[in-house]
Amino acid sequence: MTSPNTSPRVVMQATGLVKRYGQVTALDGADFELRAGEILAVIGDNGAGKSSLIKALSGAVVPDEGEIRLDGVKVDFRSPIDARRAGIETVYQDLAVAPAMTIAENLFLGRELRRPGFLGNVLRMLDKKKMLEESIARMNDLKVGIRSMTQAVETLSGGQRQCVSVARAAAFAQHVVIMDEPTAALGVKEGNMVLELIRRVRDKGLPVVLISHNMPHVFEIADRIHVARLGRRAAVLDPKKISMSDTVAVMTGAMRPEDIPAECLAH
Amino acid sequence: MTHTLKTPFNLARLGTLGPFIALMLACLFFATQSDRFFTAQNLSLVLQQVMVVGVIAIGQTLIILTAGIDLSCGMVMALGSIVMTKFATALGLPPALAIVCGIAVTTLFGLINGLLVTRIKLPPFIVTLGTLNIAFAITQLYSGSQTITDLPPLLTGLGETFRLGGTEVAWGAVLTIALYGLVWFALRETARGRHVYAVGNNAEATRLTGIPTQRILLGVYVIAGFFYGIAALLSVARTGVGDPNAGQTENLDAITAVVLGGTSLFGGRGVVLGSLVGALIVGVFRNGLTLMGVSSVYQILVTGILVILAVAADQLSHKVAR
Repeated sequence: MTSPNTSPRVVMQATGLVKRYGQVTALDGADFELRAGEILAVIGDNGAGKSSLIKALSGAVVPDEGEIRLDGVKVDFRSPIDARRAGIETVYQDLAVAPAMTIAENLFLGRELRRPGFLGNVLRMLDKKKMLEESIARMNDLKVGIRSMTQAVETLSGGQRQCVSVARAAAFAQHVVIMDEPTAALGVKEGNMVLELIRRVRDKGLPVVLISHNMPHVFEIADRIHVARLGRRAAVLDPKKISMSDTVAVMTGAMRPEDIPAECLAH
Repeated sequence: MTHTLKTPFNLARLGTLGPFIALMLACLFFATQSDRFFTAQNLSLVLQQVMVVGVIAIGQTLIILTAGIDLSCGMVMALGSIVMTKFATALGLPPALAIVCGIAVTTLFGLINGLLVTRIKLPPFIVTLGTLNIAFAITQLYSGSQTITDLPPLLTGLGETFRLGGTEVAWGAVLTIALYGLVWFALRETARGRHVYAVGNNAEATRLTGIPTQRILLGVYVIAGFFYGIAALLSVARTGVGDPNAGQTENLDAITAVVLGGTSLFGGRGVVLGSLVGALIVGVFRNGLTLMGVSSVYQILVTGILVILAVAADQLSHKVAR
């Protein structure tokens, strides 16, 4: 635990990230800092370098310059699988699940448990019972109200499907969960259900990076707001101190970072 | 709300039973039309007629589960049977080695199909339409369009029968059922098997979980090619010759069997045992209509109608599921 006079532990940090695509510079020396136990929203206009930043953090693109540190250790992701192995899980906007497969199968997809002994080692048999029990435990833990783990994901609503994705990420992430517009495809009620779940993931101790266009959602759950602009970090704002309209002004460039009142900046 | 271990009733369950019910109804119908239908001897014959299509359909099922299709299956099988018979006779290779060579050739075709689909990202439909013609041409050229006869006994061994409760059962039929059991187990109980379904369900989501989807796809095409080789051996065993014109009805019959068996052409759903039931449905219709004295053209007509019905049922159940 940290003492009150020091700021919380930094889980993930990026400094001076540069990413160029031909003539276009998507990231132009971007910095990033994620602290333990927080929900950090990342916002920015189209072309602000928001998605390139997130892709760099989740291993989907390799930055040309700059470095990324995870728990103080420099990391060098070549693919999303590298990031995943390092304990960073990403939830995507477009409901990345296998619809005809059961919830339990989706939760353990790519990380299946095998039976012990001969059945597992030689016959490679899955331990379906254990995976089912663990799925139930994980979902109860996160208070996701889905009756049966053996029902196909396609029988669920969009919000419930997204909850499956979030629960999967939360179950396997050791360090960070990145959520890329997790509520964009959902209605109001379903979106709130996912927000509630994201909050519970944070309360379990996993820091969350939330990319969102939805300002009310951002203000509802973010602890700090990272504003991306022109390929850099324009500011990190405190949603309890700054108004939504001023935040949009910073995002669009109508308010210059140096004009932001000091109390509105997150520390 | 709490989670339970109970499985809710769902359409997918009914979907797996549907083909079986259709098979039972077809059997009942033909039993009323011909008293020779329900004899042990006739049913054993149906099983022998079905084993070639049945084994091809295993490979085809794997490919269709990944949302692909293999139009070359029957032609590749024919090439395999020509290679193994010609190697054993004209080249004078030991029969066992000739069989291995035949299976190697069909597996190689599976590898080519798989590489074109995974590396160059060509649609499976087009790739296998190409290899269908290539395999057919090589078969004709290499055999000189001549049937290969005077085969050593090992090549026809699977056509031999044994008595089981007064009925002659072919060893090939036993092998077919054993292969179905093996693939059913692998698809259902192993991680790799579940990954085949996952690739057919949502390839991109599967890739993002770290599963090597391209390797799984390639593997599926190679394994399918291997099964076509086994089917080639069964075809040789059943007919007693290497026939360059084999595989022409089996080509579409195998796809028909898979679709009738309830595997979705959209990928990701289906049970391999359904394809055996599907193959039996095709076989029962062929056999029953023959016993009724209906000309073979009508048998083809009926098969065509069955396929369309099965695909329509698949499409409709898809709509319900959404």
